[in-house]
Amino acid sequence: MAYTYSKIATYTVGSGGILSMAFLSIPQTYTDLVLKISAKSDRPNEYQSLVIRPNNDTANGTTRTLEGNGSAASSDTTASILIQNLQGNVATQANVFGSADVYIPNYTSANYKSFSIDKVGENNATTAYADLTASLWSSTAAITSLTIITGNLSYPIMQYSSFHLYGIKAEV
Amino acid sequence: MSSISLKYKSKSGNLTAPGDVDLGAMIPLATVTPYTTTTTVEFNSVPGNYSHLQLRALVMGSGYSTLRFNADTTTSNYRSHYLGGQGSVTFAGSDANAAYFANSGSANGMAVILDLLDYSDTNKYKTQRYAQGWDNNGSGEVYLTSSLWMSTAAITSLKITAVTGTFASGSHFALYGIKRAGA
Repeated sequence: MAYTYSKIATYTVGSGGILSMAFLSIPQTYTDLVLKISAKSDRPNEYQSLVIRPNNDTANGTTRTLEGNGSAASSDTTASILIQNLQGNVATQANVFGSADVYIPNYTSANYKSFSIDKVGENNATTAYADLTASLWSSTAAITSLTIITGNLSYPIMQYSSFHLYGIKAEV
Repeated sequence: MSSISLKYKSKSGNLTAPGDVDLGAMIPLATVTPYTTTTTVEFNSVPGNYSHLQLRALVMGSGYSTLRFNADTTTSNYRSHYLGGQGSVTFAGSDANAAYFANSGSANGMAVILDLLDYSDTNKYKTQRYAQGWDNNGSGEVYLTSSLWMSTAAITSLKITAVTGTFASGSHFALYGIKRAGA
């Protein structure tokens, strides 16, 4: 039986870091998916985005973001499904990890898939990025896997970063 | 002495023993509903066996409040950032020396959902992420807020303090634990 809010899988990054990770064989028995991420990249003194690829599709993703940087708000678009400026390796804050929730409603439907992402980075300084994001995967395929890749392959996702996938079951 | 009742585990109505009941990933831990106006709300002895915490609140009354962990009152251990909108303009900013919990301009209440991932991971400073907002039929604000507690200690208590104003009757604070896979 699927409960309203069920844990599906968890992955925590070990020493050395990773460039990507994937949740494979996602059960098709839920209504929505929630992905919780506490992560940072090895990019020094810069924030680093993560890319999400449903079914490892390298195309068909688009994103619209409202972003605050600690002093001003802005909005932009990106041709991928993006968790923008999650967290870099800020030299003075080595233990700081960004926090994100990715909500994917109706992930098995035959329609294109919408993503809602709220994410924050932190820093003991003025600059830190907060993003409200809407993304679209322009595919009618059911989502069976989610691959998360560092936005710059020169900078891996660091140790202790964690990725947690949950399923939400609506009453039908 | 507390007791556990048998629960229905499936829609078919099969009764199961208490030890067999899997309540899913999101578990209610505690709820605070002030009977009268108050200025502090505390959750103590937070169990460490969940992966994440989520605090859902309705904060009644105007004013702003702060969040403290493990009774740490050293203000330099906290920092906040925010992205907001007022209906016609957007803004962003940061504040040193505080983790702001809510900042409501309406007696009708402000809704807050706070996510605290990996709250017991001693390799991490603790990053909080809030979605919050209030509307007062003509005015209002919506925020995506973050705050940072610069400590690697596992979080065992949370204290919300009204710095200005109070938490009026009708306020509601509910803490949930969210399990990880395999837990």
